[in-house]
Amino acid sequence: MKTPSVIPSSAWIFLIWLILMTLLPFSLILGMSFLQRTDLGNIVFAFSLKNYQQLLDWIYIKVLLKTLWLAFGATISCLMIGFPVAYFLARVQGPLKSIGLILLFIPFWTNFILRIYGIVSLFGSNGLFNQLLASVGAPQASILYTRLGVYIGLVYNYLPFLVVPIYSSLEKLDPFLREAASDLGATRFQTFRKVILPNIKEGVLIGSLFVFIPMLGEYVIPDLLGGAKEAFLGKVMVEQFFILQDWPLGSAIATVLSVLLLGALWLQNRWTSKNQQPQTQELGHAI
Amino acid sequence: MRFKNPWVSFLFWMAISLLYLPLLYLIFQAFLENPNDWRSGFTLKWLIKLFDSPALWGPLLNSVEIGVLSATLAVSLGTLGAVGLSRISGLLPPVIQTLIILPILVPEVITGLSLLLFFLLCRFDLGFLTVVVAHASFSASFVYFIMVEQLRKLDPQMSEAAMDLGAKPTEVFWKVTLPNIIPGVMGAWLLAFTLSFDDFLISFFTSGAGLTTLPLKIYSLMRIGVSPELNGLSFIMICISTFLVLMLVSKEQSRKWVLRG
Repeated sequence: MKTPSVIPSSAWIFLIWLILMTLLPFSLILGMSFLQRTDLGNIVFAFSLKNYQQLLDWIYIKVLLKTLWLAFGATISCLMIGFPVAYFLARVQGPLKSIGLILLFIPFWTNFILRIYGIVSLFGSNGLFNQLLASVGAPQASILYTRLGVYIGLVYNYLPFLVVPIYSSLEKLDPFLREAASDLGATRFQTFRKVILPNIKEGVLIGSLFVFIPMLGEYVIPDLLGGAKEAFLGKVMVEQFFILQDWPLGSAIATVLSVLLLGALWLQNRWTSKNQQPQTQELGHAI
Repeated sequence: MRFKNPWVSFLFWMAISLLYLPLLYLIFQAFLENPNDWRSGFTLKWLIKLFDSPALWGPLLNSVEIGVLSATLAVSLGTLGAVGLSRISGLLPPVIQTLIILPILVPEVITGLSLLLFFLLCRFDLGFLTVVVAHASFSASFVYFIMVEQLRKLDPQMSEAAMDLGAKPTEVFWKVTLPNIIPGVMGAWLLAFTLSFDDFLISFFTSGAGLTTLPLKIYSLMRIGVSPELNGLSFIMICISTFLVLMLVSKEQSRKWVLRG
């Protein structure tokens, strides 16, 4: 096996760039999270775990619980909407498959801010939804600048990122598995529950984690759709940097989020390497 | 082919329509006489007015300039990396593999904050250059993966033959490898440009006070409230983004990346 010592010089330029522009900034965040600051916002170079302890304060725990709950609900909704979408894309054949995939992704390559603005113009106080309500004489619904607004924004923006892992897990399934199951007399529901679901559950779980964890760090969605009162972890993190001038505490939150993400990456690597066992064997046990 | 289960099919099309509804309404709204009333009739006057306003051209020009520079930087770096590592990319130690994938994987908020911290500690003035560098720092990894795939398709005997004929490694790169991977390079450049053009969050953190890109302008107008100007800008932004995505999708080598998100 080749070792880094044989990496050609041209690649070093790229790797040094990555070290300087990615690894070093992340290390700065990590390092900053162990420092302290004075009341004036100056940074004191003294190692301490105070910031992490501060995260265990009741105010932060409350924000964390609220955020976890909201992100959890949004992830579950993404799963429920995303599953039929992924299932359709995995099972359909011919040009409709690529058309469907392209249709799913075009909205997500338009600007992120525009997608948020789209939700504002649909659900804002003068938005389409309230105009329609007014035209039938119904009272105004306040969706924007509430928790519901953040929730809609999260589901809308993260949906395709959950469709993709479900889709690729379904694609990897041996098509004969389903046939075999129905030959053995399983109903459609039984096939789904006992054959399809056990085979894709790890992929779906990892996909959900990769949606759930970034959701926790979301700043713009709670900021623009949630209004001032809704506390959200990502928003609190960014405000530590820009408003409260408490960089060490903001860095501690960013570090916790990054560690969670690296944990999910590690889990993914572990599962994909052990997942080589033949799926057909499990079929016999399932039915 | 017709899909067997009509319910799954129905749910799919339902979800797709919901995904498009906000964006289609934004387009519709840009032409409304009164943006707060969907039955107020259509007009072009807001868009025409926008074309004379500095609110459009300044930010648009900034976005394009930043996009061109950062895409060029990212393509140079990513291609250099890929040329060096493509043969051994499967054998790289996990540390290096993680390092390369990190900029793609980490949420933009954290990338943005860490770059901000980095620039401030280095005492760089936030502005045009820091945004260019920040955009290149995350798109270089995307370029790398596209180029690795391109290079894998290339016959290794070609560069070996060139070396046997006495070409130096740099000559091999410029005269043999590069001409063969040009389509991939162009696709990767377009992807990097699109990533930069559409980026909001990283620009938001690294641009300082003076610089405004198109997404930043839309954001600052949005904080004030719905206005015809904002609707017009959104319409133009949707047109450019959709155009870029369709160009990307039509390019074989970047399609996979677009679909992966």
